[in-house]
Amino acid sequence: MQIQSMKRFFSAMLIISLVGITTPMPAFAAMVGTERVIATEQNREHIDRVSEFLARDDVAQELQKYGVEPADAQARVEAMTPQELTQLSAEIHQLPAGSGALAIVGVVFVVLLILELVGVTNVFSAI
Amino acid sequence: MGGAFLHTAAIAAVFLIAGCTGPQTRLSEHLPRAAAASAVELRHTPFFPQRDYQCGPAALATVLVASGVEVSADALVEQVYLPARRGSLQAEMMAAMRRHGRLAYRIEPKLAALLAELRGGRPVVVLLNLGLDLIPVWHYAVVIGYDTAAEAIILRSGTQRRREMPAGRFLQSWRRADSWALLALEPGALPAADSPQRYLQAAAGLEHVGAFDAARASYAAGLQRWPDQPTALLGLANSEYALARYDAAEVSLRRLLAARPGHVAGWNNLASVLLAQGCTEPARQAIERAVALAGDTSAHADVLAATRDEIAAARRAADRAPARGCDGLP
Repeated sequence: MQIQSMKRFFSAMLIISLVGITTPMPAFAAMVGTERVIATEQNREHIDRVSEFLARDDVAQELQKYGVEPADAQARVEAMTPQELTQLSAEIHQLPAGSGALAIVGVVFVVLLILELVGVTNVFSAI
Repeated sequence: MGGAFLHTAAIAAVFLIAGCTGPQTRLSEHLPRAAAASAVELRHTPFFPQRDYQCGPAALATVLVASGVEVSADALVEQVYLPARRGSLQAEMMAAMRRHGRLAYRIEPKLAALLAELRGGRPVVVLLNLGLDLIPVWHYAVVIGYDTAAEAIILRSGTQRRREMPAGRFLQSWRRADSWALLALEPGALPAADSPQRYLQAAAGLEHVGAFDAARASYAAGLQRWPDQPTALLGLANSEYALARYDAAEVSLRRLLAARPGHVAGWNNLASVLLAQGCTEPARQAIERAVALAGDTSAHADVLAATRDEIAAARRAADRAPARGCDGLP
């Protein structure tokens, strides 16, 4: 585990340094990003590029575990903000996944059906 | 004894559940007085019937197409659907909007804000919890209207092209999902809500993932409504810089610094923009201004140091080569 995260850290560093080499001057390192200024104004912790890279990698792996193709997973995390990446890498398993269908059977199903009839839930009427 | 206990427990349960249904509210209480009796239905909103568990792609396609993107629900499956979770995450719904060049704007979690956007002519994606906190049943739908006379919210939902939901029931399920609601704004469009912070954060999201043209148009639109808003000026300059439009970036930054002379990030970025234009001496003065303003505890100290190093290196390389026509600093 330790070695795994070390490897990921160094590969992140390597990629970032290579990006630095191949990006023509002027480099982005010398601009303060808008996202970063907003984070500072909101007293949110700013995420540096290495942490962001690792979080992106982390979330892409989680997406693959949930059955997303590797190339799709990569494209999906590329469109996420640092805030979203941090949230997903910390709690992807607990976050709601809207599906619009009932994957519940047995007693729970009966309970929901009764609650629906007395007006507490909307499972059967809204989908 | 046992029977009496069960009896009491049953009554208690009924009251608990009844308590969950929440206060009854009237739509008119969440509308401006002039619109207390009104109805909106965005009839031209397209409809993508949901397949299997894929209400996420369907709801997303609905608002993206309504905002002018050509896309189908099927094409969005690989962008937002999680097979093993049989659903879509909120963050992925927002990320997918950015992939299509749309600003993912999360509206304020209030019924008044939702109704205001509908009155502004925009369908809204909502997350609903149709079940209970303990037994959640998550569902994305698109709100396309409301009717105060019928006390109803009108939705494109699941396999139903037009579903009228009693407002009380809608609110119940919406609030159980933290009243989460999302707009897809085309670049340059503004929401009905007057909240620069929410809007600029969404625009910064576009910029961060490299959609610079869309970000630039969004910041420019923001400046129309909130002139000289510092973050909008900075964002506009940063997007121009990323597009290698240094002259335009410089104009925005000078405007920012005229309004906010103590803006550290503004001075740093002006220094970088001047450097990119070959104006090393004004660049040096600008970064020194930034460093002097920042002090030792600045959140951006690392960037300031990097800018300073770059400018110093460029000055050594140029070795007093005559600079082209560079404007001095204010």
